[in-house]
Amino acid sequence: MKTPAAPAASPEIPVVRLEDISKSYLLGDVRSHVLRDVTLSIAGGEFTAIQGPSGSGKSTLLHILGLLDRPTSGDYFLCGENVASLDDDALSARRNATIGFVFQSFYLIPYASALDNVLLPGMYADTPKHLLRERGLALLEQVGLADRAGHKPSQLSGGQQQRVALARALINNPDLILADEPTGQLDSKTGEEIMALLADINTRAGKTVVVVTHDDATAAYARRRILVHDGRVV
Amino acid sequence: MTAGWSDAAHAARLTWRSLGMAVTAILAQKLRGVFVSSAVALGIAALTVIVASVDGAREKAMEIVAWFGPNAVMVLGGDIENRPVGQRVLTLTWDDARAISRSLPGVMAVVPMRSKASVVLRYEAKNVVVPVVVGATEDYAGTWDWPLDEGRDLTLEDIERSAKVCLIGDAPAKALFGDASPLGKTILVQDLPVQVVGRLAYRGFTSGGGETSVDDRIIMPITTLTQRFNMDRKYFRGLRVKFHDPSLMDAHLANLRSLLRHQHGIAPGQPDDFSLLSAADILKFLSAVTGGMTVFLGVTAGVAILVGGFVLANLMYLSVSERREEIGLRKALGAPGWAVTVQFLCEACVLTVAGAVLGIGIGIGLGEILSGLGLLKLVLTPKIPILSLAAALCIALVFGIRPARKAASLDPIEALRGGGEG
Repeated sequence: MKTPAAPAASPEIPVVRLEDISKSYLLGDVRSHVLRDVTLSIAGGEFTAIQGPSGSGKSTLLHILGLLDRPTSGDYFLCGENVASLDDDALSARRNATIGFVFQSFYLIPYASALDNVLLPGMYADTPKHLLRERGLALLEQVGLADRAGHKPSQLSGGQQQRVALARALINNPDLILADEPTGQLDSKTGEEIMALLADINTRAGKTVVVVTHDDATAAYARRRILVHDGRVV
Repeated sequence: MTAGWSDAAHAARLTWRSLGMAVTAILAQKLRGVFVSSAVALGIAALTVIVASVDGAREKAMEIVAWFGPNAVMVLGGDIENRPVGQRVLTLTWDDARAISRSLPGVMAVVPMRSKASVVLRYEAKNVVVPVVVGATEDYAGTWDWPLDEGRDLTLEDIERSAKVCLIGDAPAKALFGDASPLGKTILVQDLPVQVVGRLAYRGFTSGGGETSVDDRIIMPITTLTQRFNMDRKYFRGLRVKFHDPSLMDAHLANLRSLLRHQHGIAPGQPDDFSLLSAADILKFLSAVTGGMTVFLGVTAGVAILVGGFVLANLMYLSVSERREEIGLRKALGAPGWAVTVQFLCEACVLTVAGAVLGIGIGIGLGEILSGLGLLKLVLTPKIPILSLAAALCIALVFGIRPARKAASLDPIEALRGGGEG
């Protein structure tokens, strides 16, 4: 189990560089192409929205960006490192150190407190527990939930749960924040608050943020839009 | 390889953290944890009783061997194993006793034994029936390694003079004298006044698996017994032969057998008209009795532990499918597969170890009841917690590894998709 330190983002090296990424599945005798020759580059500090209708392949693109899925062909350079050849444990280590995830359905552990949920990615990193706790409490304060640290997810509103998820995405200080329809289960006002927080994280902490959405209002926060249609970037 | 040490440190830290997360997860499902732990506890309780009773049986066997004497052989008249029809039982004579002590190599002492069954003892207004009055030669307590609580042993003078004295066992002493000392008191042994000169220490076990305690007896000089109770003067019921070296018992037994066959004029091919009984034979008989009990308990414990294991495995499978989303999330957020396996194994271990602690408690309680009923003798040793914990960890690892690996093999995309509609 090798876990060499992931290379840090630098201005010259883009955080994400995809070259001719294709993804296809064999369904019976028919090969179905979900992504075709996607080539794109996202520089450090960008706020990008990936947009497209259902079935366009944007979810698959997100999974590949998030190292949860492997492309059929093509190269993916994450912070300059070609991750195509890494094994599962190495991919886990990269996800843990380099990427912060925000999901549509929040995905908090129901029996754990807000703070413990924030600390979760940190548990799989080497940060000492007391530093992790300090950082978790600071992040909860940053998302406005300092007084909710001991609450269980069921005691929090949807917006509050997504804030916990945001704090969790930041705990390991990743270079890239990947958000999959972060406002999909929130009313429009709460959704705006979450997007404002993401924009704040982007501008203040300089984190690269990629939001996948089909919603124009959500995509409007991004400074760059990538449209996916029929598996191609258009 | 320099990364080796930091990798190991990373793995150790992650394992420790997994244990903490396992405890949190268990506390979220208390009722389920109680089910698993109690199922395991039943198995461990059975194991505790087994180990305690096996140790108890061994200790009891050791006591009996010590009482009998590891270097002693009992010679009984008649073939007690085969009991040929019409064979005489009274075949051992003073001649035999003298021949053994004179010509058999390695002999330390030969003690003729004669006894009378069911004799009434009387002291003042109290009556008690002892199952056996033993006729013995000098140094009874010494040859039987049976300490005296008070008084003195039988002496050669007692034997020669057919003195009207006796050693009293713990049971009749309590029955006749209560807490008072029996020393110097005169009791009536079937109308014969006899003075108590010594009191045997409490031994507390039954001889040969019978109901009668070895403490329920009195001992008189063999000469007094034969003369005063009109018993056959020529023959003995038994002879006790003690040798110097217990490691040569097999050779001693063979010599003794051929000497007695010669004494009794038994032709080759004819069966013995006597029986030899050594400590090893007594142990063989005892272990046959306790062995049956141990096998029964062993099967019970095995089945109970198996049931506990299956309960654990099933509830873990249920838990893994219920917590797909959590597992997928952990993997997506960077948990390596092995860390997920470790966490679920930790959960299993915590539950079974809790079960083991509970089980030892139940086992000890059950053991108290069983020994209270006199069914078993139990001895509690440090072996019990060690074995129980080892068994608990084995259950967790053997039955937990499949569900834990199933959890680790979940594809995070699939697992997360199953939870929400996204």
